[in-house]
Amino acid sequence: MFSDLSKVRNIGISAHIDSGKTTLTERILFYTDRIRKIHDVKGKDGIGATMDSMELERERGITIASAATYCQWDGHHINIIDTPGHVDFTIEVERSLRVLDGAVMVLCAVAGVQSQSLTVDRQMRRYKVPRLAFINKADRSGANPYRVVEELKEKLKLNAVLMQLPIGLEADHIGVVDLVEMRALYFEGDNGETVREDAIPEHMLDAAEEKRNEIIEAASMFNDELLEAALEDNVTSEQIHAGVRRGVLDLGLTPVFVGSAYKNKGVQPLLDAVIRYLPDPTEIENVALDLDDNEREFKVEVDPKQPLIALAFKLDEGRFGQLTYVRIYQGTLKKGDTIFNSRMSRDIRVGRLVRMHADEMEDIESAAAGDIVALFGIDCATGDTFTANRRAVAMSSIHVPEPVIHIAIKSKDRKTEGNVAKALARFVKEDPTFRTRVDEESAETIISGMGELHLDVYIERMKREYNAEVETGQPQVAYREAISRRAEFDYTHKKQTGGSGQYGRVAGYVEPFDAGDFDFVNEIRGGVIPTEYIPAVEKGFRTAMDKGKLIGFPVTGLRVCINDGAAHAVDSSDMAFQAAARGAFNEVYNKSRPQILEPIMRVAVEGPGEFQGAFVRSVMQRRGVIVGTTESEGFVRVEADVPLSMMFGYSTDLRSSTQGKAEYTMEFAKYAPVPAEISEELIKKFRTETDSRGN
Amino acid sequence: MRRKEVNERSPVRLLEASIHGGLGAGNIAAVVARHGVGKTAFLVGVALDDLMRGRKVLHVSLEEPSERVRSFYDEIFSDLAHERELEDVWRVRLELERNRRIHSYLDGTFSIAKLRDAIYMNRDHGDFHPVAIMLDGFPFADTTVAEIDELRAIAEELDAELWMTAVTHRDDETDENGLPAPVAGLADRIDVILQMAHDTKAVHISLLKDHDNPDVPDLKLALDPTTMLLRRER
Repeated sequence: MFSDLSKVRNIGISAHIDSGKTTLTERILFYTDRIRKIHDVKGKDGIGATMDSMELERERGITIASAATYCQWDGHHINIIDTPGHVDFTIEVERSLRVLDGAVMVLCAVAGVQSQSLTVDRQMRRYKVPRLAFINKADRSGANPYRVVEELKEKLKLNAVLMQLPIGLEADHIGVVDLVEMRALYFEGDNGETVREDAIPEHMLDAAEEKRNEIIEAASMFNDELLEAALEDNVTSEQIHAGVRRGVLDLGLTPVFVGSAYKNKGVQPLLDAVIRYLPDPTEIENVALDLDDNEREFKVEVDPKQPLIALAFKLDEGRFGQLTYVRIYQGTLKKGDTIFNSRMSRDIRVGRLVRMHADEMEDIESAAAGDIVALFGIDCATGDTFTANRRAVAMSSIHVPEPVIHIAIKSKDRKTEGNVAKALARFVKEDPTFRTRVDEESAETIISGMGELHLDVYIERMKREYNAEVETGQPQVAYREAISRRAEFDYTHKKQTGGSGQYGRVAGYVEPFDAGDFDFVNEIRGGVIPTEYIPAVEKGFRTAMDKGKLIGFPVTGLRVCINDGAAHAVDSSDMAFQAAARGAFNEVYNKSRPQILEPIMRVAVEGPGEFQGAFVRSVMQRRGVIVGTTESEGFVRVEADVPLSMMFGYSTDLRSSTQGKAEYTMEFAKYAPVPAEISEELIKKFRTETDSRGN
Repeated sequence: MRRKEVNERSPVRLLEASIHGGLGAGNIAAVVARHGVGKTAFLVGVALDDLMRGRKVLHVSLEEPSERVRSFYDEIFSDLAHERELEDVWRVRLELERNRRIHSYLDGTFSIAKLRDAIYMNRDHGDFHPVAIMLDGFPFADTTVAEIDELRAIAEELDAELWMTAVTHRDDETDENGLPAPVAGLADRIDVILQMAHDTKAVHISLLKDHDNPDVPDLKLALDPTTMLLRRER
């Protein structure tokens, strides 16, 4: 445990997929002595970078799960949460952003700001994360950090300020000029571990002077002392640091650093900057919800002496067993404590408390507010809140979108069926956007998620981690059904032949409901349906809604109001009223003009300006609606709402129509009615399928 | 509050009354202010008023990428919905998005010809007929009378209002009618001219020109600097 919270940093490293984030993390761990050897992503030694703890990630060279790790630098304690880069995993990104106090945004010096950077930028803004930028890969051919800084300003509208100048670019990149201290830094030794200071190369002096003044000008907006000193021309480094820091915390300034993680350039100064400019846990305001008081928001106090509040933000089942990563917001967590899971209303004993470093761990006795640690072998789900004294408090919930795509899976081998089940159970706990169920009719296992790639990754993980290969069906869009107008029902369920009879009558109306899936209104007067049967009526409607009458997909946005009915003294029962409600639903559904809804994705395609026509066409052909276009020098970005069902195979088409020069991102946006002709097609298909099954 | 009431009570009604029934189709308004005062927020406020009535709006920005413009709309709309306790927020938002198009032309890629092409493409292939065009960041300082006339022709053909922003600078001079530099020479080509300026409390919006009306009325309109919502001034 640490006594001085001002020496703690919880940071994320967030970036586009190929900007070298994992390599940068690897170097950070090396320079902070957490690992002894450097491996590269997709390393020739087959070991791979330490942060990608999953084999699959190693093979693909991408980071899927956000492992947390920690290191120490200059007397400070840094927790690093590695965040995934692909948009299909944004729930992971958002979850990590929730527990971060600051971030390093890694950009590629060649590719610059790409569409994924824009998505990540929007998330960072939403969670108000202060950040630094690191322009990586300055050693690559075509590297131009100055252009990337301009893109940060123009595309992301960040007040980006270059804090360093690269000494040499591409193959000649050998170091950086520190513009605050006005010195050159070279990285020497086998792995760049020795930082050598020197005078700024003669030919760079003028440029350095000019850029330094830009820093002072930008930072003086946030520090009056610096502003005065600048006017009198006796600025100190401390004043500049103070101004930059304030600017970062106020989200008004983004200092930019340069280097090449792969070539071991510029990593140590970046670590200095993390400590110097990013906030400590006490400088960030976090709120929790009091579940006993109507979810009233209150501010958590970053104080080890207050009662515990901690959030489980990541589950991971590795070779040590199940690990739960938690961020402690308030109080202290000790080994042997009994804590309370407020969602499950259950006490939990803290058996082991560990500090994680990627795949290795270290036992600790206790941890305090502001820290990120892992609990061992605890049963909970991601997003659960732990408290002391059985207090019903939740950290404000993270919005979890409904899955939009399904795939049926089947074990290739009967022997591994158990493994599949085990794998699915774990994935569901780890990832709230991943769901699984068994289809009643086909007895197939259906998995659901946020996109094709999202599900692909889990299918691969089953194979690798659980040795369970599965066959997959065609991806299916998760349609919904909804009624579009009010309609009345009056239905009597009566069965009085032999044995005990069944009797129940329900009457009322259904209407579209905006604010959620289902709303049940009971307006029964005079007990014509006895109160004890009302829950059965509600349940009957709920069950009926699981399968709409059009194409058998769940019904959403339905309000049911019951205002009349009848019961029989002997023959009425819960069962009879459930059956009556199901009958009423069948009766009223077609009258209420049901329609099929489909998931609509917000798609952004971008690439060289000459492809504008191709982008617009590709989107229009897919029933897309253009919502915006952005043209800038040589570059165009088209945003559109496109039905998910039309997006299968889009990446291949886009690649071939643009010679691979364009890229796209896609996020779930909303549900919307499908056009009439497609609706008819879907209904016809559904009927043929059910007929062929013989029902 | 229902959206109809939100519209009825909208501060934009006050603006309409002050400029005698609104800007009018085929006419041009210019909103003049220094950098960062809230010109875009003003345009978005006027656009939202149209959108809330189910009308279509085209927003053209020369300064922000379309995604940023959209989040501007999202933020101002959600503040508005919150403040007025708007009903059916979800449904209204969907409709707004359907009725709004955003085009951004950055790094000097804008030209009136391009704008014309985009508008006609939207109209002819996308069945998109806007009642208002918001043109944000048009380079007034370098424009010519002919260009303004060209823009007017587009507005007239489309039967749409054209709202534009113009930047003033600290040392810009005003002409004898009190019109600041970027629009001073164009007064006879622009129907309505508004100016925004802020003091410590709010951003005040005043009317400098109202069609051909010689007595320009006092406009009691302001922009709240925190929510960026338009409001009546007490």
